[in-house]
Amino acid sequence: MKSINKLIIAISVASGVLVTSCQKLNIAPPNIFTSDVIFNSQAGVTSFLATIYQDLPIEDFKYSPSTNDGAESPAGFEHGANDWTEFYNEAGCTGEEVGPWSGMDIGTGFGYWPYADIRNVNIMIAELPNHVASLTQAGVNQLLGEAHFLRAYYYFGLAKRYGGVPIITTVQDPGAPLATLQVHRDKEQAVWDFIASELDLGYNMMPATSVAGRANKYVAAALKSRAMLYAACVAKYGSVNFVDGQAVTAGYAGIPASAATGYFQAAYDAAKLLDGVYSLYNGSPNDKVLNYVNVFLDAASPENIFVKQYSIANKTAHSWDDTMSPRYFTANALSRSYPTLDLVERWGNLPITNSDGTPTRYDNRAQLMQTLEPRLQATIYFPGATLRGLTFDMQRGIYPSFSGTAAAEVAKPANSRSYILAGSTSTLYQGMQVIGFTGPWTGDDELTRTGFYVRKYINFNEAQSAVNLNTSVQPWIDLRYAEVLLNRAEAAVELGNTSDALTDINLIRVRAGATPYSSVTLDQVRNERCMELAFENQYYWDLKRWRTADVVLDKAHFQGLMPYYIYDENKYIFLAEPELFNREYTFPKQDYYEPLPGGEIANNPNLLPNNPGY
Amino acid sequence: MKKLIRILMGVAILASSACTKIDNYPGPNASFQGTLISSTGGNFPTSSGSTQIWLQQIGWTAPQTIPSKFDGTFEDTQLFSGGYKVLPVGGAFWPVLDTITVNLTKGTTHNFTVTPYLVISNFTATLNGTTLTLTYDIDAPIVAGLPTIKDTQPYVNTTSLVGTGASILAFSDVNGVTINKDFIDMVPADKSRTLTVPNLIPGRTFYVRVGVRLNDSYLSSNFSNIIRVDVPSN
Repeated sequence: MKSINKLIIAISVASGVLVTSCQKLNIAPPNIFTSDVIFNSQAGVTSFLATIYQDLPIEDFKYSPSTNDGAESPAGFEHGANDWTEFYNEAGCTGEEVGPWSGMDIGTGFGYWPYADIRNVNIMIAELPNHVASLTQAGVNQLLGEAHFLRAYYYFGLAKRYGGVPIITTVQDPGAPLATLQVHRDKEQAVWDFIASELDLGYNMMPATSVAGRANKYVAAALKSRAMLYAACVAKYGSVNFVDGQAVTAGYAGIPASAATGYFQAAYDAAKLLDGVYSLYNGSPNDKVLNYVNVFLDAASPENIFVKQYSIANKTAHSWDDTMSPRYFTANALSRSYPTLDLVERWGNLPITNSDGTPTRYDNRAQLMQTLEPRLQATIYFPGATLRGLTFDMQRGIYPSFSGTAAAEVAKPANSRSYILAGSTSTLYQGMQVIGFTGPWTGDDELTRTGFYVRKYINFNEAQSAVNLNTSVQPWIDLRYAEVLLNRAEAAVELGNTSDALTDINLIRVRAGATPYSSVTLDQVRNERCMELAFENQYYWDLKRWRTADVVLDKAHFQGLMPYYIYDENKYIFLAEPELFNREYTFPKQDYYEPLPGGEIANNPNLLPNNPGY
Repeated sequence: MKKLIRILMGVAILASSACTKIDNYPGPNASFQGTLISSTGGNFPTSSGSTQIWLQQIGWTAPQTIPSKFDGTFEDTQLFSGGYKVLPVGGAFWPVLDTITVNLTKGTTHNFTVTPYLVISNFTATLNGTTLTLTYDIDAPIVAGLPTIKDTQPYVNTTSLVGTGASILAFSDVNGVTINKDFIDMVPADKSRTLTVPNLIPGRTFYVRVGVRLNDSYLSSNFSNIIRVDVPSN
């Protein structure tokens, strides 16, 4: 009997479980956003877009091009709460600056592969047409235009690194047969043409204005001028200077030279679309130095086309102010990347040597700087400049007395030079400090190795006590009108239209406080670009597209400007000497294309052949 | 009590059987060695960071490389056996574009014959005080299509491992000479060259060779043989 009772209880419990188990749970999970939730409102779409914009390959303050030499890991496009290694920058590997890299460390990239982001854009493009009822046809079209622009931006980030990559325009089903998921590389030319057509869609579908940080039709046109110039140069110069291999033969790396003119024309036409819509910043025309400084700090600048913003509250602030100036001017941290004399001499040779070869004597450190172009003074902190009430007191050492020429002095072995150096600011010579609080000094890499510091983008208005890590919020200007003018000028010269180029270049030179040109060559246009866009993460890609990186960076050593005090004359001199670490930089030709990431090739062997040399 | 014993036995069985599996995948036991032979005779002289043997196991996607030694030989004893596509790359020789397939087992040997861009011959080193004078001749087995010749320089080191990336900057790179000419435009005086290395340190032994660098895909250099130089103490 007992056992029967047990059996009855067991059966009833079991049947109770079985009966209730077949009721379907028909409640949508509240923690998963369905496409209706996202795409039926502007607010939903905006929040979806936020991720896509945040992940754009914008090489901003935080961009870290490699993990070598102790740089932040993972490398790439950072947007976290603690991104503070701004000195591991492209500039520090190309001779614009010398930085913590011990050599040409950034050439093979970091395996950028943004197909997850591209998938997000593809989802958007597939979904938006289903939501005309709630977003209106006009609203859907504007957003589609924005999506095409964003997709082009991602593919630009891929094409300039790898050349040809698979063009994925659909939302791939992860359950689909492997053969359809393992997509072959497209030819490099096809990728650039795809970028062009996407940006044309963006230009045609987007409105003329947008809130800061989002794209409008002119942002698409501006990006197109940049992208087409890249493609044109790959065709023109990459067809001459290249590493041969299967990927070249197959068209995955390289574009036929015959396509160059078409791309230059496309770059020129795209840049021309911005005529009269944007203008160069000229907020304080009577003080050209301050004016150029504010190009990068005044949020109301009519020059800004596309910016990336930062916020302390959202934990996206950057550390530019704290890591580009030495601790002397800040509340924390240190600097490790310094402009070179080689960059400064793009403006012409400094007046530091007399015609007889002897160093020019200056009464004080600041005297040299005051003779220079305002734009140069606003780009780089020279000895004698001031920030937050303190002076850049760069001094390499003291000469009790100095005779002879600068060249002879620099050529001497260090131990037969008569200067007094020091390893500490507390070391005195006849009661005078031997080295400056701001260097140059070799003991550590927290003080300048070149006699210069970066000034561009430095927020001089911030109080010293507030300049800390992750507290800088000045936006990164990803696209500004000056670059569009330079794109236009370069394309124009390449097309033989030097008069248009001259007009563009002189607009920039007048704003910079430089003497306008009466005629202009390709070399001058390129040099103007390198001056105007210094430290803006353009130069590395310019060297790559001009295919001159292997020439400019061929066992390259860079120079600094070392200020010395001459005790018995009470004067200052400046000597051009190797930067204090005297590092060597060599760009291997194969790095004109980065290697496709090994992990992606393992997932998809159809990505082979890899780029030549890898 | 019985229950407890049973549980303990169960635990014991699980514990003893859980860790018995061993990695039964065979370790890398194949090797690949050989020599790069110059088509003009002898071993092809190389340096660190120049010629490599590129190899890719068939069925796998990630290639690997074996760097060549200074005398033109190479060896890797930690390879998995199997079929590989192999190719010499990165040196100053006419590119070899067709991969060959080798089946690697223990002790596989394969020699590659390459045609150097340039051959450096009649290399002499004469010491006068602390100044070393180097003379050598440059010749090209194939002239048509040869990459532009960029520069030439001595390589000086304190060990017999001397070449690019293994030399003393103050004696080596600074005593280089820019050429920037195509071989076809070089007059006889350009091809019989002299370099000087001043201010060597008395009482030391140095190893010296010269290199000529070309503007090919790898900015690679052809090298001379290596000469030992004993600087007398003064």
